[in-house]
Amino acid sequence: MKPVLFTLLSIFVLIIACDIYPQDEYEEFYVVESYLIAQDSLPPLYLSRTAPVSALYLFEDFAVAGANVRIHLLSGGQGSSIEQTFTYQMVDNGVYNSSITHEVMPARTYQLEIDIPSDPSALITAYTAVPDTFSSQSTVPDSIVYQSENQLELDISPSRNTERQTYFIFTTIAQNPSLENFTPLYADLYDPETDRFSDFVKISSGIVNEANFETKPDGTVTLKYPWLAVAFYENNTIVTNVLDDNVYDFVRSQAVQLGGSTLSPGEIPNLVYRMEGGIGVFGSLAADTIQTYVKRPE
Amino acid sequence: MKKNLLTVLFLVLPTALIAQKASINGYVKDSTSDETLISANVALLEVNRGASTNTLGYFSITNIEPGTYTLACSYIGFEFFHKEITLSAGESLRFDIELIPKIVEGEEIVIISERELEKQKDIGRAQVNTELIKTLPKVFEADVFRSIQLLPGVKAASDFSSGLYIRGGSPDQTLILLDRTTVYNPSHFFGFFSTFNPDAIKDVRLFKGGYPAEYGGRLGSVLTIYNKDGNRNRTAGTATIGMLASRVSLEGPYSKGSWMFSARRSTLEPILAALRQNNDNIPSSFYFLDFNGKVNFDASQNDKFSLAFYSGQDKVNFPFADDAEFKLNYGNRTLSGTWTHIFNEKLFSNFVLTGSQYFNYPELEFGGTPIQRRNNIFDYSLKADLEYLPNEKHELALGIWAGALTIRLKDRFDGEDSFQSRSHSRYGSVYLSDTWRPNDRWKVIGGVRTSYLSDGQYLRVEPRLSVDYKLTDRVRLQTAYGRYNQYLTLITNEAFSGFDVWLTADDGVPPSNGDQFIIGAKTIPFTGYGFDVELYYRTMNDIFELDPFTADASGLDYPDLFRFGNGDAYGAELFFEKREGRLTGFVGYTFAYTWRKFPNYNNAIGDVNGTGRRYPPKYDRRNDVNLVLSYQLSKRWKSTLAFNYATGQAYTEVLGRYTVLNPWSNDQLEVFSVGKINASRLPAYHRMDISFARSGTFFGLGSAEWQFQIINLYSRRNIWFYNFDFDENPVERNEVPLLPLLPTISYTVNF
Repeated sequence: MKPVLFTLLSIFVLIIACDIYPQDEYEEFYVVESYLIAQDSLPPLYLSRTAPVSALYLFEDFAVAGANVRIHLLSGGQGSSIEQTFTYQMVDNGVYNSSITHEVMPARTYQLEIDIPSDPSALITAYTAVPDTFSSQSTVPDSIVYQSENQLELDISPSRNTERQTYFIFTTIAQNPSLENFTPLYADLYDPETDRFSDFVKISSGIVNEANFETKPDGTVTLKYPWLAVAFYENNTIVTNVLDDNVYDFVRSQAVQLGGSTLSPGEIPNLVYRMEGGIGVFGSLAADTIQTYVKRPE
Repeated sequence: MKKNLLTVLFLVLPTALIAQKASINGYVKDSTSDETLISANVALLEVNRGASTNTLGYFSITNIEPGTYTLACSYIGFEFFHKEITLSAGESLRFDIELIPKIVEGEEIVIISERELEKQKDIGRAQVNTELIKTLPKVFEADVFRSIQLLPGVKAASDFSSGLYIRGGSPDQTLILLDRTTVYNPSHFFGFFSTFNPDAIKDVRLFKGGYPAEYGGRLGSVLTIYNKDGNRNRTAGTATIGMLASRVSLEGPYSKGSWMFSARRSTLEPILAALRQNNDNIPSSFYFLDFNGKVNFDASQNDKFSLAFYSGQDKVNFPFADDAEFKLNYGNRTLSGTWTHIFNEKLFSNFVLTGSQYFNYPELEFGGTPIQRRNNIFDYSLKADLEYLPNEKHELALGIWAGALTIRLKDRFDGEDSFQSRSHSRYGSVYLSDTWRPNDRWKVIGGVRTSYLSDGQYLRVEPRLSVDYKLTDRVRLQTAYGRYNQYLTLITNEAFSGFDVWLTADDGVPPSNGDQFIIGAKTIPFTGYGFDVELYYRTMNDIFELDPFTADASGLDYPDLFRFGNGDAYGAELFFEKREGRLTGFVGYTFAYTWRKFPNYNNAIGDVNGTGRRYPPKYDRRNDVNLVLSYQLSKRWKSTLAFNYATGQAYTEVLGRYTVLNPWSNDQLEVFSVGKINASRLPAYHRMDISFARSGTFFGLGSAEWQFQIINLYSRRNIWFYNFDFDENPVERNEVPLLPLLPTISYTVNF
């Protein structure tokens, strides 16, 4: 009886002691960052490496130099033939610019290709389908009164190049930011000891689906611009951004990492990456900008 | 035809078969209040025949040879009852037993029948003594769920959550029934407390797993709670003043039955007012309240009616900045009407009409932009349960449960609808089970349950089986198997249950299903002690839960809201208790694993086509020990100690980081790289709580009790999770602690 008990006890102790789900060791990855904006010049591309979480992090310290960076304009979708190639040159440590000026074409697919001579095994590839351009159809009033009944409304032309609904991010950039120009909410939220003033100058929404807005018979989407997006009185620039799948996945999963989802606190997933051989974002946007003047209420 | 069949089955057949035999049936009650007692043990000693009272306190022993017997009855906390009775041929004796509460004085030893706990000790089952709930050291307020969390196999997500994580299941995998009515959000204070007022409750029992065919609709467990019926002998009451909430309960008789009414309300206003003197971020108003009530109408000896209700609400107004205010109003309401009819000594029936409503109305007014949610559940159902005793070897149970469930969810942003979901589901289930006792040693319960949901037209069959073998008078071996289906999922957050949303299965969203296997042994190593062991393994398939990466639900097809995955859980539970004497208590130990797996979740970086690695959810705890001890210090003083030690919860260790420019603001996006999700463990959790109760009188008007408690006696700084401060470089990891040392006091008067 005793040997049986001893064996059972040993098995039990072994089970308790054995870690069947061990923690991974830190692994270094190449990090890519580049946002193509429809009808803008090809943007710079940032190439770096991840840092151990305990390390002091400065981009320059982890920048990757000497990489061969190419962006291909494809004739069709992903996997189609290359129509044109844009070679990038390093202009600063880890910062690469296109050698030729090229205006990013809406509704077209671009391919990223990076190899790093100092690391023969490194090959980073990614694709982005640039959203089609759009524009604000309505006449934007020159000025609006803050929190008046007449909210700013934008009529946005339909996007044509995706099978899914459109994902937006809206950005408000204050042109006359000052403490005196703060709207009451942001004046109260701003704490000079803990907050950076510049963070309030340019504020943005989270991801907003097209289905939130009224769609007219011609497909135009009417957006009522919320007052919470106005941090300062006077001149404001409002940018409507339409996201491709890569940026959409990157942004929504980055928000989950910092909490606020249904995941338990402390459960942190990696981001959703649409890239091979590296992490980060190689994505694209289409954007349109309007100006308005926000008056103080009487 | 059907009518004829029923007649043959339930009326003619039994009468014809046992015409010359006798039977005895009735209710077992508390003599002081006439409150019926659930799972009391009744026996005829000379022939070793017995029965346990059902959930309405009713028992029936049939097929008895005419003669003279000693009728005995026992129940924890009551004097042993025995009386000589004589049964003549063909007699059906109606005999209601009234048990006298036992008063523990000094070193008096309470004698408990060794057979008494048989029903409570069925496999996967645990019963929580309502007195223990009130006696345990409490975080401000006596709490049913926090008491249940002390049982092996049951875990808490944190000190701040009363949610029940049972045998690897999330809280939505436990069906919670109050007087047979489903309660959808059983929490106050956004999850800190459970909604159930301990003064209004008479019985709490938990089916941790392998639950019988009588219940369904959840993958894991069932918690049944019954309100008190009310004192049938005299008008009585109790009032308690606490630091967080105060409560009052009244009960009494009337000519045709009894009634009970109980109310509880938070009393935070003075504290909030004091805090507002020095702090800005304090709610302008915050309260929770609940009402419980029950009226019983005894129409005849064989017909009883009861109407029970519950209404609870939490409401907070929190102006957190100029031009910004958060409001939340949520709660539950339940109503159940029960008709209990005894056809004859062999056929007992129970019919219930239930109504359950859940509402949740969060509102945020933020810089002139209103953001609102309207979330409602309306669940109306009819239940019928029949218990039929054809002979002494079989107990048949047959039942139906059918209802209509409406879930309405509507979000509005800036005055316009941004998301809307409304489902009207019809659901139904039928079960049949037989408890077969071929001899004194064996008990086999076999059953099958069939359930249906109109959304998606899902029909599922669920077999259930449990076998109980009495090896010796002190050792019972048990095993059980069951298939379970779940048609609902809960969208919640362990840190805050104030926004809970339930969603149903539908086309493209199949119900979850799972199997449970349990083996166990219940032993009585010495008189007055118990030692139980249970091992379990369970699967969870087609789990559907809100995709955590959903940034905005607007415009998504219903199935696209969810991620679908699987899980499994296994473990061992040990439970050692001392039931008698001045020192009583228990030690529970749980060794457990639980896993989840979702496609494309927890892939290694770069493994873009991976199927997802399985991982432990946060509440997975390898070892969990609970110790509860109560000691009667003197006639007036009693002390209770609770201690918990548990392996640290799982969390995700952050390994690497990088930043990218944020194209939409002037700051940067901070990004972590991690390895396996939840592969690290927080430091071990341990906490000791202690309470002292001093009983006395309240100016001669009634008994009274002071309770003094210290939560977290040695001020252990347990960690809830880690937070990261990106303003520091390197990024700084900060600990978010759980409850500190917390002294509380309360005063209760019984009159």
